[in-house]
Amino acid sequence: MPRTMTFAGFSFVGHWQKITLLLLLMVSVCWFFADTEVIALEPWIELGRMGQGFIHPNFFATEYLFEALWQTISFALLGITLGLLLGFPLALCYQHPLIAAICAFIRAIHEIFWALIFLQIFGLSAITGILAIALPYAATFARIFSDILQQAPRHTLFSLPKGTDKLSAFIYGRWMHMYPQIVDYIRYRFECALRSSAVLGFIGMPTLGFYLESAFRQGHYEQGGALLILFVLLIGSIRFWAKPIFLWLYLPLAIYFLPPIPAIDGQIIWRFLSVDILPPMLQGQPFLSWFDIDILSKVFDWAYKLITQQVFPGMIATLVLAFCALGLTYLLTLILLPFNTRLMMPKVIILIMRAVNLILRSLPEYLLAFVLMMLLGPSMLPAIIALALHNSGLMVFLMARQADSVTVPLTYQPRIDQYSYLVIPNLYPHFMGLLFYRFEVIIRETAILGMIGVMTLGFYVDSNFSEIRFSGALLLLVFTAGLNVIVDYLARRLLH
Amino acid sequence: MLSLVDIDLGYKQQIVLPKINLSFNENEHVAILGPSGVGKTTLLHHLYQQLSEQTCLCSQAKGLVDNLSIYHNVFIGGLARYSRCYNMANLLWPFNKPQQHISAICQELELTAPLHQKVSELSGGQRQRVALARALFQQQPVFMGDEPFSALDPLMGLRLLNLVKQAHQSVICVLHDAELALAHFERIIVISDGKVVLDDKANRLTLAHLSQHYALADTVKNAVA
Repeated sequence: MPRTMTFAGFSFVGHWQKITLLLLLMVSVCWFFADTEVIALEPWIELGRMGQGFIHPNFFATEYLFEALWQTISFALLGITLGLLLGFPLALCYQHPLIAAICAFIRAIHEIFWALIFLQIFGLSAITGILAIALPYAATFARIFSDILQQAPRHTLFSLPKGTDKLSAFIYGRWMHMYPQIVDYIRYRFECALRSSAVLGFIGMPTLGFYLESAFRQGHYEQGGALLILFVLLIGSIRFWAKPIFLWLYLPLAIYFLPPIPAIDGQIIWRFLSVDILPPMLQGQPFLSWFDIDILSKVFDWAYKLITQQVFPGMIATLVLAFCALGLTYLLTLILLPFNTRLMMPKVIILIMRAVNLILRSLPEYLLAFVLMMLLGPSMLPAIIALALHNSGLMVFLMARQADSVTVPLTYQPRIDQYSYLVIPNLYPHFMGLLFYRFEVIIRETAILGMIGVMTLGFYVDSNFSEIRFSGALLLLVFTAGLNVIVDYLARRLLH
Repeated sequence: MLSLVDIDLGYKQQIVLPKINLSFNENEHVAILGPSGVGKTTLLHHLYQQLSEQTCLCSQAKGLVDNLSIYHNVFIGGLARYSRCYNMANLLWPFNKPQQHISAICQELELTAPLHQKVSELSGGQRQRVALARALFQQQPVFMGDEPFSALDPLMGLRLLNLVKQAHQSVICVLHDAELALAHFERIIVISDGKVVLDDKANRLTLAHLSQHYALADTVKNAVA
């Protein structure tokens, strides 16, 4: 009898339970290998000063504060606009496997790496910042718009009058069905673009991030605190200042007030494309001699060394970090979600939690990790916590909206048991879908954490760039993108 | 007008109606009846694909675009008559001429809501009349409907059926209201168990004939009573 009981128990383990168990298993294996040692430093004096900085923020310490704010918005706006101009046509031909593959590749490379590449070509020009946002965003738009447009009900198209031209059929029969979702998504991406634009400051673009980083590095916390508060307010108030009608005003202003763009030097671009990105042994050699046996073998040695010493260790560290962050994101989201939905909490608490969420998702992971590193010492732990905090902030924000729209029976009581029976099962598939999508994002975000010394692929890419080894950096980027494409593919396979 | 000879109907591997033989003549009013899920819509969609050059298809309210106004939803029926530039411009700034035409159709259909109202804000019956208005605006000789009057009260349904019959030479409708079919259509086709079980002139049939082939909604009601 007990035997059959256990069998009966097992048969209740359904599809989502299996996926969850698999996820938790992967996370515990990765956590075992991750370097999560806490090295107790004496951070209290420094943290105290940091706290003081937030309590007494100095909004007048930054000389170019208004310019920095304006550039942050302007790069985001122009980046999104260009991204849309490129992304829309791509979305229409996204069915083509080649287009989908190219988009996946472009998307897989983080904005900051695109910026590092364009930095070599255009220098610290506005073009670098705008293109670094526009390119990956265009690839993302292409995929998401194509997904959204696919969901348009087929019947309208089926019953259209025979002989309707293709454009009218598309606009009336498909586009008009889905455009509210598309506009919603663009609005959400604008928030992301503001964050990306600020982050580009870390590599020297004249946005908020630039002043933020230098303020924190130099210990000017009252200045840094003021900048961070401004940044969170900027993102929190998007819906008041970024109304579609104002965009017609901002856009011309953004173009007009762009910092002067230095003349593009064709020779530099040509040199970058024809010499700098080649492996060192091929530089300056005529094309035909590339295929000589001893040169080829040198190239092979170079690639082999790079792959064994940088690509593989970087890839393993990236995956370990990403899985640990994913596991923590999963737990944090599940714990925080009940505090954020009207189905569990009174209005007051939800309002407070909204503010917490806003701060969590607005703070750049880079800064979070930077602060945590002072507290916990240099290991993977600060990066894991920073990624998890940021991503769970976003997940909770998106999931809470979903949770509030769940219809519950009239007898529903805000108790954890009723919530678990009536709400969670409704949300779980969507929740897991979002989590797996975030996994791809987390892997991309490990790139930035590489720049503060966590030895992910991003760390090696960054050091190759700073040692002016572009060929090495590009090889690493190709592997980084490949890893992302594979993860994306596997996640989709697992979910469908 | 159209003949089906030994045609298999269905989606990919799943054949719902094997070896169907039917022919349709011009100037005929045909009602297709049968239990739900038997393949009536499949048959209708096949007919529509064969005759789409001269046919408008009206399926309850399935083809409506929720984010568009009543006016634009009806205008979709006229897309093929105008150039793409005209269609695009009309989306941004509705033209006067089609507006007058559409407003007249809506008045006939007793659709009194303002033309600029979004269809997502309408009731089921109003939505169905928007779908009918679109079909009328298409101005084709053949009308095909998939339960086009199901959400309307019987009197209104009858009035609109007469409007549809006036405006089209041929009418082919999938219906669930057997009485309406017997009284106002010339020919009745009943489909059941994957085949055509009855195909005859309506004036030679009674409800009793039909109920031999499938449980009519009314007979079920009577049985329960």
